[in-house]
Amino acid sequence: MLDRKLVKALARIVGRRYVLTQPADLVLYSYDSSTARGVPDAVVLPESTDQVARVVKLCAQRRIPFVARGAGTNLSGGSVALAGGIVIQLSRMNKVLELDLRNQRAVVQPGVVNLDLQDMLAPHGFQFCPDPASQKVSTIGGNVAENSGGPHCLKYGVTTNHVLGLTVVLPSGEVRQFGAGVLDPPGYDLVGLFIGSEGTFGIATEMILRLRPLPESVQVIVALFDQLEAAGEAVSRIIAAGIIATALEIMDRSTIQAVEASFPTGLPTDVEALLLIELDGAPQALDRQAERCAAICRELKAREVEIGRTAGERAKLWAARKSAFGATARLSPAMLVNDATVPRTRIPEVLRQIQEIERRHRLTIAKVFHAGDGNLHSNILFDRSDPDGLHRAEAASIEIFHAAADVGGTITGEHGIGAEKTAYLRLIFSAADIAVQRRLRAIFDPLGLANPGKVLPVEDAAATEGRAA
Amino acid sequence: MNTLSETLNRLEEIVGEAHLLTATEAVAGYALEGQMPLAVAAPGTAEQAAALLQAASEAGLSVLLRGAGRHLHIGDPPSAIGLVVCLNRLDRIVEYDPDDLTITVEAGVTRQQLQRTAGQRGQMLPLDPPGPQTVTVGGVVAANLSGPLRTRHGAPRDLVLGVRAALTSGEIIHAGGRTVKNVAGYDLTKLFVGSFGSIGAITEATLRLTPRPEATALLAAVLPANTLDGAIAAIAASPLEIAAGEVLNPVAAARLGPSSLPSTPADSYLLCLGLAGPREAVAHQVQEAETMVGAECARIEGEQEAVIWDRLRALAYPRGPGAVLVRAALPISAVSHSLALVSARPGWSAVAHAAQGVIYASPGDQGDLPAVGETLGVLRAAAEQQGGYAVLESAPVEMKRQLPVWGTRTPNRDLMQALKQAYDPREVLGCGRFLC
Repeated sequence: MLDRKLVKALARIVGRRYVLTQPADLVLYSYDSSTARGVPDAVVLPESTDQVARVVKLCAQRRIPFVARGAGTNLSGGSVALAGGIVIQLSRMNKVLELDLRNQRAVVQPGVVNLDLQDMLAPHGFQFCPDPASQKVSTIGGNVAENSGGPHCLKYGVTTNHVLGLTVVLPSGEVRQFGAGVLDPPGYDLVGLFIGSEGTFGIATEMILRLRPLPESVQVIVALFDQLEAAGEAVSRIIAAGIIATALEIMDRSTIQAVEASFPTGLPTDVEALLLIELDGAPQALDRQAERCAAICRELKAREVEIGRTAGERAKLWAARKSAFGATARLSPAMLVNDATVPRTRIPEVLRQIQEIERRHRLTIAKVFHAGDGNLHSNILFDRSDPDGLHRAEAASIEIFHAAADVGGTITGEHGIGAEKTAYLRLIFSAADIAVQRRLRAIFDPLGLANPGKVLPVEDAAATEGRAA
Repeated sequence: MNTLSETLNRLEEIVGEAHLLTATEAVAGYALEGQMPLAVAAPGTAEQAAALLQAASEAGLSVLLRGAGRHLHIGDPPSAIGLVVCLNRLDRIVEYDPDDLTITVEAGVTRQQLQRTAGQRGQMLPLDPPGPQTVTVGGVVAANLSGPLRTRHGAPRDLVLGVRAALTSGEIIHAGGRTVKNVAGYDLTKLFVGSFGSIGAITEATLRLTPRPEATALLAAVLPANTLDGAIAAIAASPLEIAAGEVLNPVAAARLGPSSLPSTPADSYLLCLGLAGPREAVAHQVQEAETMVGAECARIEGEQEAVIWDRLRALAYPRGPGAVLVRAALPISAVSHSLALVSARPGWSAVAHAAQGVIYASPGDQGDLPAVGETLGVLRAAAEQQGGYAVLESAPVEMKRQLPVWGTRTPNRDLMQALKQAYDPREVLGCGRFLC
């Protein structure tokens, strides 16, 4: 696929030093945070929309698959070149092009790191609401491709609710402007369709983001429970009390133990659950709301309840939750991440099923939930040296997908379908549902070169349906 | 190709004799902008809706989808209308578990019915579209309608988690799901939201709800024109619990009516600011709001509060059949200038959802072509120059034929046409009223 002529052509577009072809370099771009692997034929690092467009056009002419990549924190294999081809690495396009605070907008390139943007906005009293756990490294381009969430989306919504417009390089290499700097332009919602398309509709090279004023004040409550169910019940009662928390997070015992083993925060390791509640809003009301949440936890026999009001206290209470993923990853040589999501009221029964699945497959499943929106993170630990390890972990993951689908949930809340979950779309979508999605993809990418093998099941016979459109 | 009578027989077999109208006097009530439909069918199930769409598509009969018919003024004048499909018999609440803060309803459920159901559990759908409460959920979603509350809660594109829809292929598909977070597959829900019935018939939708606020307050202030820009900037950037911020020019303020409001002299604007949240916060912020907007604020209390919000929603709705109404969207910083442009035209009302950058302008009646064309042109030019747009939402049909309804430019028309083709290959849906 790769010949010297192509390398030269790529080098003419981005410069020789920004075309990587050495095996040692390529292997660095062959994986992300999932279990998927795929070595690209070349990696290019463009610095402008124009360069991206020329690279993509070249790919279209030569029928070479391409994969856009940001920080590589993807948890479903979305940034891995399964079919080889060219990885378009967007980390050089990391500029905030415009901060238009008067109009609550920022125009950014895809390689801007989420937290860097937040740090830039905070002194002005603004935020970009999506706050995925990976925000220290994950990029806005990735957030847009995956329609990322994060703890705060319980109150503020996910990425798609905070993007006004996109500059998109279509898989043909054509540059288009989707949306605008204003609300609800007439016509079909191309921005909404593009966001969450996991790199299969093209590459967004500029995004117009909608910003929001920071809240006046924030409080965090942490409660420790001897029963996981009690933590879940506390969440239900808080919501029933009409309190809209910005975050409602639960960690189970395995996760707490993992955190204490790696990044000790002084939590007792014999509790069954930690519930973290974050509230924001007017300071006049927060004390009462925080006390109400604490009282609910105490009624449910929480062992300890702590309220953090200052930035320092809050950071301390968040510390365990923020390090949960990294700590769990250190606990085991390998981990399969499942983020099935269920209607909130179905959490208790699905939780019981997950515990049963854990026992039956002799696995440890460390559970961290965005409990407020039903997004369960079941981190399935396994040992690659155990010949049966990955197999048991995958079997457990599939059973969790089924459990979620059976109660009207979905197989992924925020990590994406990527390469890992394509076969399981059928648990929640009919053949007709998938066929209409396939037609959508064919409109944006008739040649099937943009991140092939992702999102939709490949083996479907209807693969070419709708291409004529 | 079947004959018309064969097609009508087929339609009747699908919905039953009682739910298919063909007599001239019966279908006359469903005429739109001079186009009289051949037949009107009211399916009782999604399956019937799908069968109707398939039959119409196969017969090449154009289809106008309709809920309560409250927002059919939006769009280009229709080409010939073959079949009107009324979805208002699909009026069941499918699933409502208050602890999930979501509700799944059929398309024909009215906003009123939904609010009553949610209200009994202390919740609400935070969408307050212009006009009557009898608008259906299907209509709100298909037209992506929102109102003052969009400032805080968003539009249907933000609040619809999933839809079930009937296609012209006769298939019923679902997109999205019932959870707030869901990234499984493509976000096809977005294709149906705001598609004005041009892709398929939405038969069911799952929406996010929110708890009703503990307390609300409505504040009214008169702002001299030269202070408006600063006040809008302050409102938009404020961390206070602002639910809505409406700015009215003197004509709009006079049309709003109630004597409980301060009168708005020329060269000034009326601000109606809605606060909603925990009671201590609202109580405190009523005071802070005066400092924020830099003017004395009168608090409107009791029944008047709801009355005024209803009347504000009416200002963004045509005042009668064919009454001219323009909706424009622009950056927040351009709102005050655009309000001034409209206010310079005698008799034109202008009301802005200020922190959203959305403006509604109206001469109050059917207007006359040169004046409407000029105001639309001025507002459209101002909006388009800043990346925005202006839509002529309502006007007499002759006027709509003369003026570009949706705007002067449509970027990505090829992609939109391909989308339309993919789901409605014979192009029977929508009767040419939408862009594609």
